[in-house]
Amino acid sequence: MEAQVTRDPIAATPAPPGSLRDVILALLLLVVALCVVLAGWAGWFVARDRAVILNQLWGGAVVEGVVLVQGVVAIVLGATGAGADDPLLFWGYYATTLVILPIAAAWAFAERTKWSSVVLLVASLTVAFLEWRLWQIWMGA
Amino acid sequence: MADLDGGMMARAPAGRRTGQGFGRVLVTIYGILAFAALGRSSYELVVKFGEAPVAYTLSTLAAVVYVVATFALAIGTPAWRLTAWITVGIEAVGVLTVGALSLADAEAFGESTVWSGFGQGYGYVPLVLPFVGLWWLWRTSHSRSEERTA
Repeated sequence: MEAQVTRDPIAATPAPPGSLRDVILALLLLVVALCVVLAGWAGWFVARDRAVILNQLWGGAVVEGVVLVQGVVAIVLGATGAGADDPLLFWGYYATTLVILPIAAAWAFAERTKWSSVVLLVASLTVAFLEWRLWQIWMGA
Repeated sequence: MADLDGGMMARAPAGRRTGQGFGRVLVTIYGILAFAALGRSSYELVVKFGEAPVAYTLSTLAAVVYVVATFALAIGTPAWRLTAWITVGIEAVGVLTVGALSLADAEAFGESTVWSGFGQGYGYVPLVLPFVGLWWLWRTSHSRSEERTA
């Protein structure tokens, strides 16, 4: 039913409240917010000349969890015909978004200097940026 | 947690590797750019290669160079160091050449690439990164001897 409303790209913006599209936006904003917090945490560590700690990686894992939920919602929307206009582009970006934090976390954690915190900072901001791009692609921009 | 930090810190630095310290950040940014370039070129090759074969071939070449450079800098052993010099050098030449050509003639490549407009589509990161990379390669190869004497 909701898919009927969101399928037309021109009438895409005023989706009914509680629709999956709203869920997508909410999840996206949540990921961006979490990434900004994680980046701020990492930035604080850079300023204090400290290396990445395990708790920060758990923070990254929380972001990953939300990104996975986003993927499930996107699959559901795609199955109902209300997915991204360009699925290949969307899933390409999605895959990148998904793998960056785990790789960066492993790469950062092997370094026990403040530079590991810079790595986490860069990775978090990149994920936030990619979320914005995902939104653009989703909206057909 | 503090225990863990202390334990890992005790693993003393053995020689100057290109993937350590600041180099770790450099490799991270290289890796992200490699992902971006690889994603872009595979998409272009699959979906619209016929539209601009020159630009998309160039995109693919750039992507491969970024991927190799990322691994070479990350591993950082003497053999890989040479690979890093070559690939980072190709990037510096590539971004300057393609950037200049795309400015002189916007239609030269038919469609934009990672290096068009000096990497403007990627926040000029492709322009800055190779020179930071060259500086880092130069710096780490020099400080190696200094560290031995220290």
